[in-house]
Amino acid sequence: MDLYNLGSVNWIESQSLYHALALLDREGVIICYPDSPYVCLGLHDDLEHEIDQYFCQEAGIPLLRRETGGGVVYLDRHQVFYQLVLRRDNPLLPLRRQQFYEKLLRPAISLCRSMGVPVELKPPADLAVQGRKCSGNACGDIEGCVAYVGNLLLEFDFLTMSRILRVPDDNFRRHLHLAMRENMTTLADWGKQAVDYYDLASGLIDGFAREIGDLTPCRVDRELKETAEGVGNRLTSPEWLRIPGRRSAQRKVKIAEGIYLAERISSPRETSCVLSKDGTEAEITSANFWDRAVTV
Amino acid sequence: MDINNQTVPEDLYYDKNDWWVKLDGELAIIGMTEYGQKNTGDILYLELVEPGYSIQCGEKLGSIESGKWVGNLISPLTGVIEESNYEVEKKPRQVNLDAYGKGWMYKLLLNDPGEVRLLMTAQEYAEWIAEQAKCELEMG
Repeated sequence: MDLYNLGSVNWIESQSLYHALALLDREGVIICYPDSPYVCLGLHDDLEHEIDQYFCQEAGIPLLRRETGGGVVYLDRHQVFYQLVLRRDNPLLPLRRQQFYEKLLRPAISLCRSMGVPVELKPPADLAVQGRKCSGNACGDIEGCVAYVGNLLLEFDFLTMSRILRVPDDNFRRHLHLAMRENMTTLADWGKQAVDYYDLASGLIDGFAREIGDLTPCRVDRELKETAEGVGNRLTSPEWLRIPGRRSAQRKVKIAEGIYLAERISSPRETSCVLSKDGTEAEITSANFWDRAVTV
Repeated sequence: MDINNQTVPEDLYYDKNDWWVKLDGELAIIGMTEYGQKNTGDILYLELVEPGYSIQCGEKLGSIESGKWVGNLISPLTGVIEESNYEVEKKPRQVNLDAYGKGWMYKLLLNDPGEVRLLMTAQEYAEWIAEQAKCELEMG
């Protein structure tokens, strides 16, 4: 299978290249990171509902909607991306698409463990260290292929992530920031600030070779580049970004698998936040907010 | 009939994208099979096309998202959408809970009702499910 170990790429290419592989019916593995920050919506996210567009515009953070699942993510150069495109008739693919995550994520798991970070799979598609998410993953059918995409968080800008989302009020935003800090982690949290991209890429490539067989290093050829340019224009176009998507009456933000922060409206003048963890709900009060804030 | 703990009603037709089709004259009611919804997992979002839309067999008939996967719904037949089930669009979990009942997705006015002959019978679909299960086992 073709391997594209690209290092730093333009932010649009960090999404458009795997879409282009799928559109060209070409299988491949891409390892890369974006050269600048951006916000990436899932296929069915609703721009108006999800994003504080004024903040993004003021901060100069561009937007893109991918054709894979999952929710809004803030992406930057402190994350390493791994992207796998397979034809839908590839015998490696199980009928239950979610079952493939176990295979897809083995390279990232073994890489982290080799660095002393005790990462585990939290099904279906999160990687977590002691219950805190350190990697987001998604997949989607694109033409005759399936694209599995994910990232490893070297560092994460929790503050900016809490700003890009449209939320009911500043109180919710503070809770969101804290809930992310409590339930997410990065390699930097585990003393791996200075880890080199090429070491990470090399570990991931070894892992993918074990899982899917020999990988042939390739460069981005003209056909792929031109297709990616076309796809990139489409994925960032105002018409595509504004396609309506899922909305809910009360704001609910997914922090990690099974962990949600939701707005609860008790009366027209009374709202609060509820943090739900694996089905157990806890209302956040001013008192326990500050207790938790001190702990984090 | 039941196969591998999946219900396969005998009065319906089926295709390999896990649609069931109930024929009523020139009208076909279609939805996702129990086997299909189990493979898909908890369905979180459905986007259906509007009534009046002409569709060819094999064309995109909407979009679906489960836990961590998005994919297209592919039409099993050719015709015009007579009715889209917006209740299931509002509550997509209905497909998981009642695939052959409240989980129906479309009523399709068929160009040629004879096209259903290209679909699988319940017996053929049950055999196909068994074959898929065997392949999954072999893959581990």
